[in-house]
Amino acid sequence: MKWESIGLEPSLAVDGNGVYILNEGNFQYGNASLSYYDPATKTVENEVFYRANGMKLGDVAQSMTIHNNAGWIVVNNSHVVFKIDLKTFREIGRIEGFTSPRYIHFVNDSKAYVTQIWDNRIAIVNPERYEITGYIEIPGMKQSTASTEQMLQVGDYVYCVCWSHQRQVIKIDTGSDAVVESIEVGAQPQSMAVDCNGCLWVLTDGGYKGSPSGYEQPKLNKIDLSLFEVVKTFEFPITDSPSELTVSSDGKCLYWLNKDVWKMSVTDEKLPSTPFIRNIGTIFYGLSLDSFRNEIYVADAIDYQQQGMVYRYSSQGDMIDSFYVGIIPGFIVANN
Amino acid sequence: MKYKIYPILLLVPFILNGQNRHYNLKEVTFEERRPLKEIGVVKVKFDSLMLKENIALSMADILAYNSSLFVKNYGRATLSTVSFRGTSSSHTQVLWNGIPINSPMLGMTDFSQIPSYLIDDASLLYGSSSVGETGGGLGGLVSLGTKEQEDDGFDVGYIQGAGSFRTFDEFLRIGYKNDKFSTRTRVVYSSSANDYSYTNYDKKVNIYDENKNIIGQYHPKEKNRSGAFYDFHILQELWYDNHKGDLFSLKAWYMNSDRELPLLTTDYGSDIAFENKQREHTLRIVSSWNHRKSNWQINANIGYVNSWLGYDYKRDNGSGEMIIMTCSRNKINSYFLHAGGEYSPVHQLLFSVNADVRRHNVNNTDKTLSSSNNVNVIDGYDRGRTESSFSESVKWQPIDRFGISGVLREEIYGNKKPILIPAITLDGVLCKRLGLVTRASVSKNYRFPSLNDLYFFPGGNPDLKSEKGITYDVGVSYNLSKLTGFKLSGGLNWFESWIDDWILWLPTTKGFFSPENVKKVHSYGIETNLALGFAFYKNLFLDMNGSYSWTPSINDGEPTSPADKSVGKQLPYIPEHSSSITGRLTWRQWAFQYKWCYYSRRYTMSSGDVTLSGRLPVYYMNNVSLERKLTFKKLDLNLKLAVNNLFNEDYVSILSHPMPGINFEFFIGILPKF
Repeated sequence: MKWESIGLEPSLAVDGNGVYILNEGNFQYGNASLSYYDPATKTVENEVFYRANGMKLGDVAQSMTIHNNAGWIVVNNSHVVFKIDLKTFREIGRIEGFTSPRYIHFVNDSKAYVTQIWDNRIAIVNPERYEITGYIEIPGMKQSTASTEQMLQVGDYVYCVCWSHQRQVIKIDTGSDAVVESIEVGAQPQSMAVDCNGCLWVLTDGGYKGSPSGYEQPKLNKIDLSLFEVVKTFEFPITDSPSELTVSSDGKCLYWLNKDVWKMSVTDEKLPSTPFIRNIGTIFYGLSLDSFRNEIYVADAIDYQQQGMVYRYSSQGDMIDSFYVGIIPGFIVANN
Repeated sequence: MKYKIYPILLLVPFILNGQNRHYNLKEVTFEERRPLKEIGVVKVKFDSLMLKENIALSMADILAYNSSLFVKNYGRATLSTVSFRGTSSSHTQVLWNGIPINSPMLGMTDFSQIPSYLIDDASLLYGSSSVGETGGGLGGLVSLGTKEQEDDGFDVGYIQGAGSFRTFDEFLRIGYKNDKFSTRTRVVYSSSANDYSYTNYDKKVNIYDENKNIIGQYHPKEKNRSGAFYDFHILQELWYDNHKGDLFSLKAWYMNSDRELPLLTTDYGSDIAFENKQREHTLRIVSSWNHRKSNWQINANIGYVNSWLGYDYKRDNGSGEMIIMTCSRNKINSYFLHAGGEYSPVHQLLFSVNADVRRHNVNNTDKTLSSSNNVNVIDGYDRGRTESSFSESVKWQPIDRFGISGVLREEIYGNKKPILIPAITLDGVLCKRLGLVTRASVSKNYRFPSLNDLYFFPGGNPDLKSEKGITYDVGVSYNLSKLTGFKLSGGLNWFESWIDDWILWLPTTKGFFSPENVKKVHSYGIETNLALGFAFYKNLFLDMNGSYSWTPSINDGEPTSPADKSVGKQLPYIPEHSSSITGRLTWRQWAFQYKWCYYSRRYTMSSGDVTLSGRLPVYYMNNVSLERKLTFKKLDLNLKLAVNNLFNEDYVSILSHPMPGINFEFFIGILPKF
């Protein structure tokens, strides 16, 4: 078999004003991939990283961040972060040397943070030089069960949920690159969003029986950032497993997955009783809002062993389109 | 592939030209006429030549090149599992001297940990044919055993091998046999740096200018990192025959294995220090007694297996400190009791009963979790399970040309209700002159969930149901040896099976995997084999064996969602076509062996889609060896050169797991004469 030139398409190019879908692939099989969807033409291009670069994206593609017209893809079990051209998907550079990277957040053009699991430090990187320049130690976090996950920046502070086997949200001063505060929010805070009032909403998945983080009812917490305190908590049944909290472009509505897609206003006093979009036998795995077009994308992993399906909905929950992507679509980000 | 050689064509001229009248026939694969005990049984036996042609091989290699079973190989000296007829590796039951050696935790067997040097007797029992021996073999059974040395007196042999990738193998056997008593000790020690080079087509190395712009890229030539291993085995056997019908034996096999697990081809952390290693200490002991009379026999076995398995994964976090990510420790104690008897009131009739009781205790911990601050942490599981199996069978040959057999097996595990496993097999001789025998069988079978399936933390699912299957097969075998004067035999089988409640581990939203009964699978197909042996010139002998399987294994369940494309598709990682051929040419003290195996494209997706990131194309593997025997007054010397992956194929068996190119090993064998 002549492996070298299979699938290479150096001329592959798009306008870049579409939706990027990151497909995790199967753990230990190195079959993660990147798909691109053009909402205007309703066309999808799969495996664009491989086709543009003639190599695999890696093992377990975790997240993608768009910054300064470039895509930064964190490939967890390949221990690498790739920078790609959003139009050609060609690699521009890469950062190596991580323990187990999860998300990248840009503080400015020359400084970004990369969260990790199995490491009680957030890596500080210079994205211009593709180098790790330092680390932010997480106080009180053991290496063996360490986890830092999603990040959001409000003002000079970056807030980070600590998910696997953890219970807290930490607050990082971007000036000193140090954790200045932390707050406990429940077992395994999985995702978060900032609403129109500047409040931070954090969703916990409740852990599991015997977990070091405990096993309890999952929670949706509202945090007043001026006080850095939980001011409201909504609890789910203990058997639920909510995930993928996100917020509408106007910051007035929260969305999350819990078998179905759920939606509530940030001013609601209780959790909704009926889902916003019902699953149809699907295993909803990823959720993202396209703030540019005010649309909703939901990813179905199906059986985790085949090309997943992404469903595109209007803001009213009407299906607009659906298309196959790669194995286990887990992260979706729109560009404009 | 650059070299598409189809060695099946080589068979033709040999079939036409063979004329030898004195060729010493090997055991043929499909026997012309079964012993009563094997009525209707589809069985492939491996002769000692197959097992010992390259003693450095594991049973995984032997099965890959001498059968059409699918051997799923994660790399050199790494996990190798075996599956029959489109089933999974946990549907293959494995017996060693009558005791099951499937891991009670995982349900499967790692054949890379079984050196062929320690096995004297191996056979494959397909589908229903396995029910007479054990339950749970939804695909079939691999039966492995050891035998007493044949000749009285001392038997000593020492073989040393040295090969590519700093591989060293040592083999020693010391045996003694007299009229009543015999003993044999065998020792195997293998080690290798296993740092073979390969071109990594899954990634590229960037060349930057001073402004960090990429000005070039290339696929790196890399070494298999973290692939080193050493394996030590010692097998002690004792036999005592009182010549009054009693045969006692005691067999003890200890293994100490230390194996690194190689980096994926997609790992960019190769410059970082890490440790990814599994270690295993396993002791297997079985003691047996067999009392045989003219028309009846009884036997009893008692066995014990103790295993300690450790898995460690650590990485340098950049500061020189090794972070422990996984520190898994497993202790397994299994106890086996077996009693059985056979009675043949007349030579056409055989009754047999067997009772087996097994007890497995597993203690699984992950020290990573238990070292956390929090209280009430579950860091694994500590569970036991008792399994019982009772079987009764009757085999009847009312006329010389026809036989029928029925087996009823009852299996119980834990506090579950008994499960009944029935099987019926029959055979009939169609033509004695051609050795033409037809056979058919049908059975129902079950496989219990493994202890990890039920209790693994996190993710174990105690509500899992047993997998259940129904299978039938029909086949024909022929043996033209008497007609042709040289060995020529073969067989052809059609099989079909349905497995329900297939267990699969799937991801959860909480960050771990959990097993579920999800799939209904329909597999069917054809298995065929051919054995050929003759001398076509003075002292020049040829011996060939070939096999081919066509095994569609189709997801026959309901779609999980409207988008599900997996229904009606071949299961991932199971080839539809597989084939193997071995040929051995001997001339005086020389022997040349050629081995070839083939697997068709394997899908990595349940939908049968083929993607750039998920290609496992067809591969052909060719190995050769040349051997010379030197005979001296006091000893014999064997010199052997083995060449693996002869055409230096770039190939993968599992996505992102590199495989070695051409490699060599040279052996010297010393066999003193007493």
